[in-house]
Amino acid sequence: MTAARPQASGGRRPGFGAVQALLGLVLAALCVAPFAIVLVVSFGQVVEGASWRWALSLENYLRFFVGLEWPASTSFLYLQKLWWTLVYAGLAAVIAVAFAFPFTWLTTRQSRRIQTVWLVFLLSSLSLSEVFVVMGWDVLLSNRSGLPMVFRETGLTDWLQSVGWFDTLRDWGMATPRNVRFKTSVFATVLTMSYLVFPYAVILLYPALSRLDPAMLEAARTMGARPFTVIRTVVLPAARLPLTGAALLLFVYLLGAYVVVSVFADPARQTLTITIYESVRGATLNAPFGAAQAVILLLTAGGFLLASLRLSRLAEAKA
Amino acid sequence: MSSGEPGPGAPQGDPADLRLWDVRKTFPGGAVAVESVDLRFPAGELTALLGPSGCGKTTLLRMIAGLESPSFGRIELGGEDITDLPAHKRRFGMVFQNFALFPHLTVAENVAYSLAIEGVAKPKRRARAEELLDLVQLPGYGARRIGELSGGQRQRVAIARALAQEPSVFLLDEPMSALDAKLREEMQVELRLLQQRLGITTVVVTHDQREAMTMADRIVVMSNGRAEQVGPPQEVYQRPANRFVAGFIGKANFLSGTADRGEVLLATGARLSVAPAANFRDGAPVQVACRPEWTFLASEPGANTLAGRVAFVRDIGQVREIHVETPAGPQVCELPFSSPARPRLGDAVHLFLPPELIRVFPAQDRAEAA
Amino acid sequence: MSRLAGRLYLAWCALFVLAPIVVVCAAALNGGRTMLFPPEDPTLERFVEFFVSDPVWTRALQRSILIAVASAAIATLIAWPTAYGLWRRDTKLSKLLAASMAMPFALPPIVFGVGLGFLWAFSGLIGTIPAGILSHAALHGALPLATISIGLQSIDRAHLDAAATMGATERTAFRTIVLPQTIPYTLSGFFFALVLSFNEFIVMFFVSASAYATVTLQIFNSLRNGFTPTMAVGAIVFILTSVAVFSLVARFGDLPRLMGADPSRR
Repeated sequence: MTAARPQASGGRRPGFGAVQALLGLVLAALCVAPFAIVLVVSFGQVVEGASWRWALSLENYLRFFVGLEWPASTSFLYLQKLWWTLVYAGLAAVIAVAFAFPFTWLTTRQSRRIQTVWLVFLLSSLSLSEVFVVMGWDVLLSNRSGLPMVFRETGLTDWLQSVGWFDTLRDWGMATPRNVRFKTSVFATVLTMSYLVFPYAVILLYPALSRLDPAMLEAARTMGARPFTVIRTVVLPAARLPLTGAALLLFVYLLGAYVVVSVFADPARQTLTITIYESVRGATLNAPFGAAQAVILLLTAGGFLLASLRLSRLAEAKA
Repeated sequence: MSSGEPGPGAPQGDPADLRLWDVRKTFPGGAVAVESVDLRFPAGELTALLGPSGCGKTTLLRMIAGLESPSFGRIELGGEDITDLPAHKRRFGMVFQNFALFPHLTVAENVAYSLAIEGVAKPKRRARAEELLDLVQLPGYGARRIGELSGGQRQRVAIARALAQEPSVFLLDEPMSALDAKLREEMQVELRLLQQRLGITTVVVTHDQREAMTMADRIVVMSNGRAEQVGPPQEVYQRPANRFVAGFIGKANFLSGTADRGEVLLATGARLSVAPAANFRDGAPVQVACRPEWTFLASEPGANTLAGRVAFVRDIGQVREIHVETPAGPQVCELPFSSPARPRLGDAVHLFLPPELIRVFPAQDRAEAA
Repeated sequence: MSRLAGRLYLAWCALFVLAPIVVVCAAALNGGRTMLFPPEDPTLERFVEFFVSDPVWTRALQRSILIAVASAAIATLIAWPTAYGLWRRDTKLSKLLAASMAMPFALPPIVFGVGLGFLWAFSGLIGTIPAGILSHAALHGALPLATISIGLQSIDRAHLDAAATMGATERTAFRTIVLPQTIPYTLSGFFFALVLSFNEFIVMFFVSASAYATVTLQIFNSLRNGFTPTMAVGAIVFILTSVAVFSLVARFGDLPRLMGADPSRR
């Protein structure tokens, strides 16, 4: 009368298995293979001229860490590039999140309709190509028009000179003898990078902040906390993990910035993306070495990405 | 079954009945939702699966619908094995807890969904939808969007939709839980009348004993994945099969004691006689249950009385609840509002427990032991 | 007081976001050949050049549009089974597929661009438009994957159970319940991919191999070889496209919800 039955299978349809297999092939070819190829090529060897051949050599990595002439002499040129990659991205990510937090918080307190308008605005600027952003800031920061001109015309330059901060700016390489100068500087690079990711920062913080229970804030208010105290004692602690997670994600995103650095950074302080380009397509033409640099950038980014994933899991587990 | 009546799994009854044979459900994680259930749902009757949340009643209903397949056992309809028949071939009309109406379709399109799938022509579908909306007293609502409807209207649409395919079995999963208290009572009566008019075999899952008693021909009381008792509402109420049922259906005062020559010897030394005599081994630990409305105030000590002091009194409309602290534990006695007795806080009183209304159970239910 | 400070802060941020955009737009009006701000000798001549008369720009615009539309369509097409698999069958394979689809978008695009450059070079497709389309589809597949997944999660599973009890097979339920309810999310994903492809630079830089230029590539070239105000027109076109597309998404879909707001609160 009764019989042991297998566990419920949920009615699997064989057709979908085939779809998934096909999908797997497509994704493997388009999404995974490029990364794999970069990894394989990075062990290759450059031969006469611009060509290269398959090999299993570590010389590209050796060159990256200690230079070509090692062990006769060591060069940390590429480690410096990596360092600047991290510095720019780190500074810009933190600044963007710091400015985006109050912005997002204020936005989420508005009605849905106004939130939608803000989101359209932000998404539009977010999708704006790095190329345009750089173009805009390039005009804004250029010496002939834009901010330096505004500084001079409004007398800000004179004022800076009179209080003596102008010399400090000159020490930082942000001024000519006559006026302030923003191109090329760390300031311009970091400013434009934070501009690039500011909308991303808002979008990343938006879910966490918009889900904060208003009753919790009202409770804090009824216990006598002023609005600013509420933010400091309730909102900020609740948003600590999303804030860190957002900063990490933006950091990873900025590791790949190319146009900003090529236009705004001092040649001595450029990043890996520039040297990768030069090795693969540009002046130096050494594809395997370019691939090795890309692998190192990839590993750096991947490491931080995993850390941010961990963090968001943690945040979810807490929620 | 722990009730003394013939088990519903016994091979008898109408051949059109829906039957479950030793149905069990273990989820992949190892959690046992349904332990072993044998049930018969008589054709044309309304059966309520009643129990606290997590007792397995919804899982059982979903297995009947074919949305979940049993880990073990057999489901039959009209003598035919339907255990392996998927939900879309069983086509038992089902009303879901939050109604699961499709927001992208109109009311009429929701109602006629099953017909559209079958390929019924559009004019015929429309006519049938109108007919069903009339049946659930929502004439002319066909063109509306689901978002425009109130909770009660949504429920009516969900019922109409489930009946559109003229199902052989009608299933409802906590159908009243999304409604407010007043509407709930009205809809219970309305649903029962509709079911009786259509004479359709119906299974309702609920955790509300009042709802079950209002609507059901038969109640299945469930706990911990088992059916504890099966019977008509009055029988389940008057003769609970065990301590769990006595406590879950209505209210009950419980007293601990031991069986002694057909009577019960309480821990305090008092004796309670029981009619008919309790059939227990002498010295076996037992639980005595007596409903508050069957507990009376006596003017003086006597047989089957407990002395105590009034700890709390509350007047709730038609009854007055007297909470009495006795040496055997707190007891509640419900007096009709018209009763002349008006004990006050702190008064010494005597409670009389009529022998014929006392129920005696083993001290531990199987459910509790597990 | 604090309310006023809040408003001021919002306004300041809006200004910060708008500043370079306004500058670029205004620069398009320059009469001369140099990018000046404020513009000198304002004229609409650059718009004519961009859309009509200068073949360098008109061809770039056509390519950009072709690549954006085609790659967004392919990305959405690939994203659907991936998202559906993840939602309906919680298997390791489904998760692996979704993860590999998300990977190119999450990691530095220059690495992906370098890899695609090698891939197309090996297969002999480097510098062709189809290779560009496929590259962008792979890069932006994560976007429709995310929006469609959000859409699928918003479907009450009881709806599928209800459909099943009314006689719907999985296929029928997909057609009558799942698909209609996820159309706004699918479209949103398509448009996200479209806009981002339109604006993408670095991957296209590697896979086009200088054989053709999209608008962003053309602008980058101009950026290096001296500005021309015509490229600012390109920027205006892009900004307007983005605003139009996201307004559409907001009009037909629930944008706050797509961005992760709690759907139950209004």
